[in-house]
Amino acid sequence: MSAVLRADGLSKRFGGLKAVDNVSLTLDEGRILGLIGPNGAGKSTCFSMLAGSTSPTAGRVFLGDREITGLPAFRAARGGVVRTHQIVRPFANLTIFENAVVAAVQCSGLDHAGARALARETLEFAGLAARRNEYPAGLTLAGRKRLEMARALACAPKVLLLDEVIAGVNPAEAQEMVTLILRIRDERKVSIIMTEHVMAAVMRLCERVVVLDAGKLIAAGEPKEIVQNPEVIAAYLGKKHA
Amino acid sequence: MKLPLPPWVRPRALIALLATCAALALGPLLHSDVYIHNLLTLTFIGIAAALAWNWLGGYLGQVSFGHAAMFGLGGFVAAKAEISMGMPMVFAWCFGGVIAGLYALVWGHPTLRLRGPYFSIATIGVGEATRLVGTYWDWLTGGSSGTSLPMHPNLKFTLYWYALALAAVAMAASYALRRSSLGLALLAIKSDVDAASDVGVSSTRLQDLVLFLSGAMIGVCGASYGSYFSYIEPGDMFGFDRSISWVLMGVIGGIGTIAGPALGAIIFVLLRQYLIASYPQLYLGLYGILLVLVILFEPLGLTGLSLRVLRRARPDLIVSGSET
Repeated sequence: MSAVLRADGLSKRFGGLKAVDNVSLTLDEGRILGLIGPNGAGKSTCFSMLAGSTSPTAGRVFLGDREITGLPAFRAARGGVVRTHQIVRPFANLTIFENAVVAAVQCSGLDHAGARALARETLEFAGLAARRNEYPAGLTLAGRKRLEMARALACAPKVLLLDEVIAGVNPAEAQEMVTLILRIRDERKVSIIMTEHVMAAVMRLCERVVVLDAGKLIAAGEPKEIVQNPEVIAAYLGKKHA
Repeated sequence: MKLPLPPWVRPRALIALLATCAALALGPLLHSDVYIHNLLTLTFIGIAAALAWNWLGGYLGQVSFGHAAMFGLGGFVAAKAEISMGMPMVFAWCFGGVIAGLYALVWGHPTLRLRGPYFSIATIGVGEATRLVGTYWDWLTGGSSGTSLPMHPNLKFTLYWYALALAAVAMAASYALRRSSLGLALLAIKSDVDAASDVGVSSTRLQDLVLFLSGAMIGVCGASYGSYFSYIEPGDMFGFDRSISWVLMGVIGGIGTIAGPALGAIIFVLLRQYLIASYPQLYLGLYGILLVLVILFEPLGLTGLSLRVLRRARPDLIVSGSET
């Protein structure tokens, strides 16, 4: 098993605040890694640093053997690390199809026809093909989260960073989302890091979980061990319950 | 016969552009009305400028109130190149355009980090500062007394075709920028810069490219305007109301649409000609009213209006998306 994405001692300071403090993690190829922690633990900042939208104060990020620390986001995306956003950010002025085309054209290096074919096929994969000529405003929240994933997939990524794609949708939709994530891993051969608050989904999807609290990595391991870990319980519920 | 066209070019659009240009090019040979001839020439320059403004203001959503800076710079640099260096007219235009485009990059590269109203306010500052410096630098502009350009017999008459070519190039460029895969990336930047970067769009580079093209085209427009009037003066060339006029043309015609600003420019130039002659005190007020009406009822301007009419007449023709 080889590491596809590796972070060594990532830290990010905002003035006096250490949002992320010396976090190292490894994503193995073909795996789903969970990144969990209470609100404000630094999960999203971690994602931003992995995807290049924020450059770390210290530490390094490797994609395979290639160092991608501090590359601008568009270069990281073209290199194969693509993120989604917790609060969905579709391009409202483009149709669903065009949303996917932009990503395919910019990242995949395909020509006009090839990129459009990739976009069409990706929307089909994500179950959005029927609505491809509509605008994102017409989609439900779950639909827009799907679009967010489809757009990232149209970049033909090696690593997908999913930021809370399940939180906020109803149970049936959450079930579909879990299936979609598994299919992304198995059929698309994409390795995934996901942050999530819905623990049931994390338990089902992730082979490994790392836990952040107040910017620090406090635990790592299989989901079953993690939920028993007193430090993790303390981070979520307070010391009294641990 | 199969033409080697990029896949995003609709043959119908190409034929329409060529046919319109051919008809307009033949026009002066069929009539001899000097007034109409002149009015059309000015309209062509207006069309080219409005379209160029729209690349930045419409496609990228960065509304500039300072484009007269490049219009004036292009005009004066071309005039200087023609007079002092003896450059042929068209070369001087292009030279003026390139300088104007570079100037746009100088102030625009840092300023484009601002978005929306913040960018617009910055452009007002740039436009006014350029006007003042332009008035002060009389080695380039001739100061308040302006610069006179060489006059040739018949030049004003032949400039009709040059201006037509300019408008046609601007139209083709508008089409290419919007319809090619670049156009989608520009719209993505307009919608959300950060999300666009996250899917591989190099926002900074694309914004700089569009800014350069827009500034250069406006500069060439300024240069041709100078040749046309054979006398230019900084207060007029760099004037704030000139910058505003392109915003108006864009808004009236349909901001961000491919051909809308051209339509807006036609309406604007013709209306102004009529209003200045008949009601010189009223004309700015009437533009104001027109602007309010457009923004209230049809944000896509005349283009939005005609789409709405077309959709009602032939609902089968227009689908919501544009996958072809």
